[in-house]
Formats: sequence, structure tokens, C-alpha cells
Amino acid sequence: MALPSISAIALNNIGKIMTDNSLKMTARDVSVWYGDKQAINNVSIDIATEHVTAFIGPSGCGKSTFLRTLNRMNDTIASCKVGGKIELDGSDIYDPKMDVVQLRARVGMVFQKPNPFPKSIYENVAYGPRIHGLTKTKAELDALVEKYLTRAGLWNEVKDRLHESGTALSGGQQQRLCIARAIAVSPEVILMDEPCSALDPIATAKIEELIDELRGRYAIVMVTHNMQQAARVSQRTAFFHLGTMVEYGATSEIFQNPRETQTKDYITGRYG
Amino acid sequence: MNSELAARAPTNWVSTEMTSRIAKRYAAERRFRLIGLFAVSLSAAFLAFLLYSMLAKGFAGLSLSFLTNSDATEASEVGIWGAFKGSLLTMIVTLGLAFPIGVLSAVYLEEYAPRNRWTDMIEVSINNLAAVPSIIFGLLGLAVFLNFMNLPRSAPLVGGMTLALMTMPVIVISGRNAIKSVPPSIRDAALGVGASRVQVVFHHVLPLALPGILTGTIIGMARALGETAPLLMIGMRAFIATPPTGITAPSSVLPVQIFLWSDEVDRAFIEKTSAAIIVLLVFLLAMNGLAIYLRNRFEQHW
Repeated sequence: MALPSISAIALNNIGKIMTDNSLKMTARDVSVWYGDKQAINNVSIDIATEHVTAFIGPSGCGKSTFLRTLNRMNDTIASCKVGGKIELDGSDIYDPKMDVVQLRARVGMVFQKPNPFPKSIYENVAYGPRIHGLTKTKAELDALVEKYLTRAGLWNEVKDRLHESGTALSGGQQQRLCIARAIAVSPEVILMDEPCSALDPIATAKIEELIDELRGRYAIVMVTHNMQQAARVSQRTAFFHLGTMVEYGATSEIFQNPRETQTKDYITGRYG
Repeated sequence: MNSELAARAPTNWVSTEMTSRIAKRYAAERRFRLIGLFAVSLSAAFLAFLLYSMLAKGFAGLSLSFLTNSDATEASEVGIWGAFKGSLLTMIVTLGLAFPIGVLSAVYLEEYAPRNRWTDMIEVSINNLAAVPSIIFGLLGLAVFLNFMNLPRSAPLVGGMTLALMTMPVIVISGRNAIKSVPPSIRDAALGVGASRVQVVFHHVLPLALPGILTGTIIGMARALGETAPLLMIGMRAFIATPPTGITAPSSVLPVQIFLWSDEVDRAFIEKTSAAIIVLLVFLLAMNGLAIYLRNRFEQHW
């Protein structure tokens, strides 16, 4: 898609990051306050369509808070105020005219703890398409559910028990179901808030594999505590510390040749 | 901790000192179990006594004519049907008013209302309202529904409206607790796929909160069913010999009927009073049974 030139200018400020026709979201000087307490301080970042972008940093550094500003999930917290500008395809998502329902359909989310609805597996995936009226007939909806369960790598495991409760699945399966539910409304961006932190290593490996398969189709932004995971699945990494973004660049650069000593200390395990 | 004991590490667990400490803990456990058993049997004994004495005295009074007749001047001719139908109609009015208003208030207060001084005040008022003595609600009903709105006296409509005032705060409180206990992760999940707030509430939060809301509703309704004082205030103590034909027709209700008969001089009414209590208890048990059925029916298993 064509992008407004302002994004190209913004790109030059960040420098040597990406080709301009892949830019999906841009954040400029974003600050977040919870009441009087500032949680995020002047963060600027570009999110590319074809990349997995990882946010790393110690606990409480604001990476999850920042992630939630990208689809306005923080709107549910009354004391939360956001300053600066976040754009999706060039339009300001904090504009009063922005439709939050549409925004969240375009920028989907997968949460830390798998949170399937206590409904059937089928209903979990069908819910989004149904509320947005994406299908007209039952057959279309069936096909959609199969398509996205397949894309989330879950179809073969659940095809014979689509009408059993989603909460009866294992943790890893539940998380893949949540991914299927998120992609079933055809989002453009998927935000993942530590999607593997409640899972065992085998389930984690499957999710990482899945993220790799989804890359390119959706812009993926992932918060992780696990630096190896960031190194394995992401192409770009942002390092957060105490509410500021210390460094942002290609994952290989950040891990092998970080510019900032703070980043280096964190990556080599001095703290965090 | 006893520092002397701690200093003597490692502890000798088989010494008499330690074994007697452990024995004391077991004794405390046995004592607690006995006290608990005593408390349970005391309340169970009262219920058993009530059931036994009512059944013993009232069983002979239960007959087909007792179940189908209405109030009369002669003890041999009285029946419970009129009061039963009156109670049923009153409960329908109460439920029809208190349930939707109570649930919507609970949803609004939990999901929509901002947290400020006003909502704090509303919260305190609702909690206080639930504790207001029922006679006060009776006076309120008398003043507002009869004297101001000129609704018919002794009617299930007014009785139901008065009891709805009393039941509503109970439904609001239990509804809010049930809504609060729905995990936030479910709301996040629904918002995350682009559900609007109304969709989040009606597709996810309310269905999950429903068992809790129903339990609170039935508790409130059971209390309303047994309520006598406020109904006396709105004229439901009149002698009514025909079953009510609708919610605006004059009527009696079960607890008031029991109260009136227990006041009769004629000793033959003792049997009828006990028989009426049996009918009321069966009504209550049926309501509680329905509550348990509904709760199990809608309970979500995680």
C-alpha cells in the first residue's frame, strides 16, 4: 500500500531501518501516564509489515504498557493517559474520530495467559467474524473457522471436537486457539503480550514456529521476557528500560553489537 | 517462636516435648470439629422441629378442598388457593420489576459508571437500602403507590411493586459481585477482537455472571415471599374470599394468610395455619430447587 510521505520523513529520523512501503504503524514521542506516574517516556518506533518486532526489557520497564497503547486496550484503565502520536497506515489512532472497535479488529491481540472464551472451540474462532458480520452463511463461517484453525496449526488436533469447550484444551493449544481467534477477523497487526510465558518449552516452540509462519502476512509485535525467544523469532528488537526505549534496531545488531552499554549489560545478563 | 527451642537445632522430632506439641494440635482440631458439628446440628434441629410440628399439626388440614378453596369465616371451609395465587401473582410482579432493573443497575455500576464520589454514594445507599426494615418499604408503598399514584389497594400489583423495592438492592449487590468475579481476561479477549462494550457485556460478562445473579435473585425473592409487614401496610390484610382474577384484583398472600389465621380465636384454625405453613414451605423449597437447577444449568466449567 502507498504510504503518506510524512512516514518517509519519520523514517529518515530513525535511520536505516526499513524500506518505506512496508511501514504499518508509527509511534512518535509517545508518553503514558497512570495518574501522576509516568510509565512511558517519549517512545518513537516504526512497525514494519513484514517483520516480527520484539520488545524486550526487565519487568516493569513499560513494554507491555506500550504494546497496549497500540490498539488502545489501555482505554479500559480510567487513569491512563496517552500523549504523542500513534498512526496506523497514516491515520492517528487516538483521534476522537477513530473507531476503537474497527481499530481493534485491525490490530488484534494475543494475551499473556491463554484466555479462550468458555465456549466451544468453534465459537471461539467464529465469534469475531460473527460480530463483524464477515460471513453470510453457516457454510462460509464453517470454512472460515477451518481456515484459521489450520493457519494456527490447530485444525488437525481439534477437527473432531470442534464443539467441545475451548477451555478443555492444553495450555499451548489454548494459546494457538487464541491466535486463531485473533487472526479470524483478518487483522493487519497482531500484538502479542508474552504469548509463551505460561507455556512449557514444547508448546513454546510450536507458538514460535507459528509466529514464524504468520510473519509477512501480519505485522507482529511481541513482548517477551525471554531474550533467546526474541533472538529466534524477531527481525527487529526494541530494548526498553524504566519507561524509555533505549535502543531499537535489527535483532542481529541488538544481540551481537548493541550500541548502548545498557542494552549490552541486559543482554549479557548483568541485570533483569 | 520459642528461641530456646530454635537454638537447640537440629530439632529432635521424636522427643516427648515435640510429640506432645503435635498431640495438642490434633486435640485442637478435634475440638473444632466438635464445635462445628454442634453448630450445624443446632440449626438442623430447629428446622427438623419446625417441619415435624407443622407436619404433625397441619397434615390433617391438607385436603383437596383446602388446596382449592379460598379464605372463609368457617374454619372447615377455608382454603389456601386464593392466598397461593395472590403470592404467585405478587412474585411475578416483583420478579418482573426487580430483576431487569437490578441487573441493569448492576451492569451500569460495574461496567460503565465512572468511579467518583457520586458512584461511591450510590453504592453506600444501595447497601443501606438492602438493610432497611421491610415495614419502612410498606409505608413507602402506601405513600407512593396508594396515596400518590392511586393504584388499587390490596392488589398483587402494589404488593409486587413494594416487594420489588425491597428485592432490588439485593439483586444489585449480588449482581455486582457476580459481574466483578468474571475474569478481566475474558473482557480483554472480547475487546481484543473488536467487540463493543455492549457486546462484551451481553455476550460474555452477563452469561458468565448469570449463575451468581440468579442465586442472589432467588435469595431476594424467597425473602420477599415470606414478607408480611410491608403487605399489611398496603392493605393486603383484608378478608378476601375469592382468588384474585388479575394483578389489580384484591388478594391475600400466603404469609399474611398465615398471620391472619394464627390470630383467629377458633381452635380449628390451628390446623389450618399449620397446613398453610406447609404450603408456604413447599413453595419456598420449589423456588430454591429452581435456583439450584438454574445455577447448575448455566454454570460454566473452566
